[in-house]
Amino acid sequence: MRAFLIFTVFLAAASAEHCYKEIEKACDPTSNKADSTPINCNAKYGAIDGVQSALQKYVNDHIERSFEYLLMSTHYANYEKSREGFEKLFRGFSDSKWNTAIDLIKYITKRGGQMRFPEIDSEISSNEDYEMYELQSLAKSLDIEKTLAVEAHNIHGLAARRRNEFHDPEISSFIEEKFVHKQADDIRALSGHVADLTKLLDGRDSSLSLYLFDEYLQKL
Amino acid sequence: MKSVVLATVFLTCVVFASAQLQCAQKKPNIPTDWIDMASPCVKKMRGQIQEELKASMQYLAMGAYFSRDTVNRPGFAKMFFQSASEERDHAIKLISYLLMRGELTRDISHMIKKNLVVPKTEWATGVEALKDALNLEATVTKKIRDVIKTCEDPKDSSNFNDYHLVDYLTGDFLEEQYHGQKEIASKISNLDKLMDKHGALGEFLFDKKISGGE
Repeated sequence: MRAFLIFTVFLAAASAEHCYKEIEKACDPTSNKADSTPINCNAKYGAIDGVQSALQKYVNDHIERSFEYLLMSTHYANYEKSREGFEKLFRGFSDSKWNTAIDLIKYITKRGGQMRFPEIDSEISSNEDYEMYELQSLAKSLDIEKTLAVEAHNIHGLAARRRNEFHDPEISSFIEEKFVHKQADDIRALSGHVADLTKLLDGRDSSLSLYLFDEYLQKL
Repeated sequence: MKSVVLATVFLTCVVFASAQLQCAQKKPNIPTDWIDMASPCVKKMRGQIQEELKASMQYLAMGAYFSRDTVNRPGFAKMFFQSASEERDHAIKLISYLLMRGELTRDISHMIKKNLVVPKTEWATGVEALKDALNLEATVTKKIRDVIKTCEDPKDSSNFNDYHLVDYLTGDFLEEQYHGQKEIASKISNLDKLMDKHGALGEFLFDKKISGGE
């Protein structure tokens, strides 16, 4: 038992000085260059290995969503739909998903991780339709935002577990700061839009309601 | 009795009306003579949107690679992330142009492939990545020229020479392509010369130089 304890202490000390030991060996003129390249002098610590694949998927989901929002905004910009407010709303979401994807890639590499892009070439599945009525598109957007928010919660949950290979307060704090609060704001704003427009469309003629609601969205 | 029946009918109508939201609207009746783009040209333009996004994803992968802790080339990473967003902006410009000409009123749900596969994700040196970038730009330039050719002479019954689009692609897109290509070529030239005798130091210094936006 005592031997085991000593061994554990020794291991902990060794892992804390991995890089230094490797560099010492690499600088030693008698050691062979091929087997003394340092491999542990990286930015990795904490639980990045345990959370990395969830973060990579989160990047890819943001890229996909940014393309979906681009299609939705394109639809509202055609001359038949001509809804500048809806165009602006969805274009804003498309831009922010894209920029978030880039920021997340930078974050993964900041923590010593790597980005992995999707390896299968899949088209938007054939039943997906981005040419929707106004209220439908708001509903769709609300669902998208909630899915992304729950995914952020899951990553936070991974990094907040009290097990060494997962516990990483830096990651959970990053997720809180950059994602969850903004997501709550977006979700609340969208649910408000859906509530308003649902009431407005509950009448005999929706055309004026939609026109005015679109103007309202333009000014946001 | 009659009034009760009438009242019931009326009430049912009200209930029906309030259950059904008026989400759909009547399709507007707009003359279409102004929509004059030839369909082979529109098809090429739609394809070009995808090409620009593909290039954007390739640049994104380059940015991701040079951000890695053990690669540590923040200047290169910054440049490639910027290029990725620029390529995305080009795609959006093409979309806006088509919308301005009355196109993209239907069948847009499949215009963009969601998961664009990135062919390459690692580069041995900065020079290698810059060379790939230059080749990528040359491919995009060639594809824009193809679009121009088709839009100048669509070879269909309309025989419609799209002067305005051809001018836009030439003056705006090709202009940017040729300037951008020269810039990358000069970077390759400078870095490649440094790499000859001072590989590691050359790339280190060059990276710091471009991270300052020079």
